[in-house]
Amino acid sequence: MKKQPNYPKTGIFLIFLIGFLIGCPFFLPTYWTFILGEILIMALFSMSFNLLLGYSGLLSFGQAGFFGVGAYAAALLILKGWQSLSLILLVGVFSAALAAVVIGFLCVRRDEIYFAMITLGFGMMLFTIAHNWIELTGGSDGLPLAALPTLRLPGLELSLFDPRNMYLFILAVFLAGIFLLWRLVRSPFGLILTAVRENKERLAFVGADVRMVRLTAFTIAGGLAGLSGALFCLFNSMATPDFMHWSYSARPILMTILGGSGVFLGPAFGAAVFFLLEQVITHITDNWMIFLGAILIPVVIFFPQGILGTIVKYFDREQETDRQ
Amino acid sequence: MTNVPILKIEHLGHAYGKFQVINDISLEIPKGELTALIGPNGAGKTTFYNVVSGRFPPSKGKVFFDGQEITGRPAHKIVPLGMLRSFQITNIFPELSVRENVLIPLLLQHRRGYTFFRPLSREKQLYQKADEVLSKIGILEYGDKPARELAYGDKRLVEMAIVLARKPKLVLLDEPTAGMNPEETERMILLIKELAERFGTTFFLTEHDMKVVFSIAKQIFVLHQGGLLATGTPEEIRASPQVREAYLGGGTIKC
Repeated sequence: MKKQPNYPKTGIFLIFLIGFLIGCPFFLPTYWTFILGEILIMALFSMSFNLLLGYSGLLSFGQAGFFGVGAYAAALLILKGWQSLSLILLVGVFSAALAAVVIGFLCVRRDEIYFAMITLGFGMMLFTIAHNWIELTGGSDGLPLAALPTLRLPGLELSLFDPRNMYLFILAVFLAGIFLLWRLVRSPFGLILTAVRENKERLAFVGADVRMVRLTAFTIAGGLAGLSGALFCLFNSMATPDFMHWSYSARPILMTILGGSGVFLGPAFGAAVFFLLEQVITHITDNWMIFLGAILIPVVIFFPQGILGTIVKYFDREQETDRQ
Repeated sequence: MTNVPILKIEHLGHAYGKFQVINDISLEIPKGELTALIGPNGAGKTTFYNVVSGRFPPSKGKVFFDGQEITGRPAHKIVPLGMLRSFQITNIFPELSVRENVLIPLLLQHRRGYTFFRPLSREKQLYQKADEVLSKIGILEYGDKPARELAYGDKRLVEMAIVLARKPKLVLLDEPTAGMNPEETERMILLIKELAERFGTTFFLTEHDMKVVFSIAKQIFVLHQGGLLATGTPEEIRASPQVREAYLGGGTIKC
């Protein structure tokens, strides 16, 4: 997690990866452009979740609640006729962060299973609000959007109904989100976060207010979940209560475990694997969750650090032996 | 102001339900005086430390640190005043490097804990300070190693480095030599003595190894069944019939 500086190859690899991601919609069929867009959104969602699990050691079962708050905030603003995409995303982030700060205030007092259960409870409450407050949220039908704001760049106006434009817009927001997270985990605050995971008692006894550190992390993770939710609302041209269902909170957990919570890009890798498997397996059978389970179980048993985590560890060891 | 005791305890008591673990303890520790708290197992030493250091509030009594009342304050509000502690069971950040272990208290002391966007690697001054602390404790060579990979005695030194990084006025050490071999114990004693002399840090330690206690403490408090049984210099404590009674049912203290 902290060794990246001695990896000049990683930098080159990342530039190629970003280039590849930008190029994708120009040679992939439209269908796959859509899938890739969804992967990017879920990757950002999972990585924001991993700020809690991997870095702070907190397992939240309620992240879909904040994802949904972001989605509904975006949908409501678009229905009101807001035209600025950046403002819509920003309000999505802040409303989700606000929900996270209020809910987090009550959650961060507890650890482990208790924390997980409280976040699950609040997640379900948010779902119920979205589902039953029909006047605001449209109930189980959600809020379908007939029109999306156009993407305005200097000298350029692009429709988000064009899948290619939508994908590139998602990619840009995704990269911005990842950059933020990257800076965050490498900052002094990032080290304090890992210290919460490692030993919260020792941390309190060198002068940190552990609840406050956790609440800050919870708020940031909630805000970024809201960003992914707002993107997902644009992507689907709607917000529905399904986004907030507790089973939706399980997705970032699955993706993170699949990819590896100990590596920065692990959850994003997990998201990609998740969707690619879904695509491949649903071609063969409708019961793809059985196969996901059949893959997840050996991963957890034999590669507890996740797929990317295991790969990175393998290369680390190679480098280590090279040096000796 | 030099006469203000660094730590002053008034009628401190703590109960778990109806069970009184510590009862009506009053004591003072003058600045710079290496003090020890001894007592048989279950006398309430660790509970006493927990209450004083803010792990939980006392049921009764008051705690003053450097003239300021701190009764019932949580640990993170006591630490910045200059009181830090170690634990009986080594308490470090195992997966982080030894250097990062020491960097954490320094970041907090210099209010960098909530710096979100500036890379940690820019905190050159703090890295330098961390290395100074590590070399003072004698574990600089392990700086890049994950703390979990160190030998047991060295892990205890890492905890010492964590505790000392913020330049505390008072350090509570809960059995600093517990589980150490004679050589490591010797090294720890020398270190404590040296730090006390060179930096004027006041150490207040519990210890079950009487040899350690009598070799370094200037003042000793004896805790027995939750109450303060005796106070005095090592000579006075050694000669006290009450203390012998409490420890060995009338025998001598092995030392």
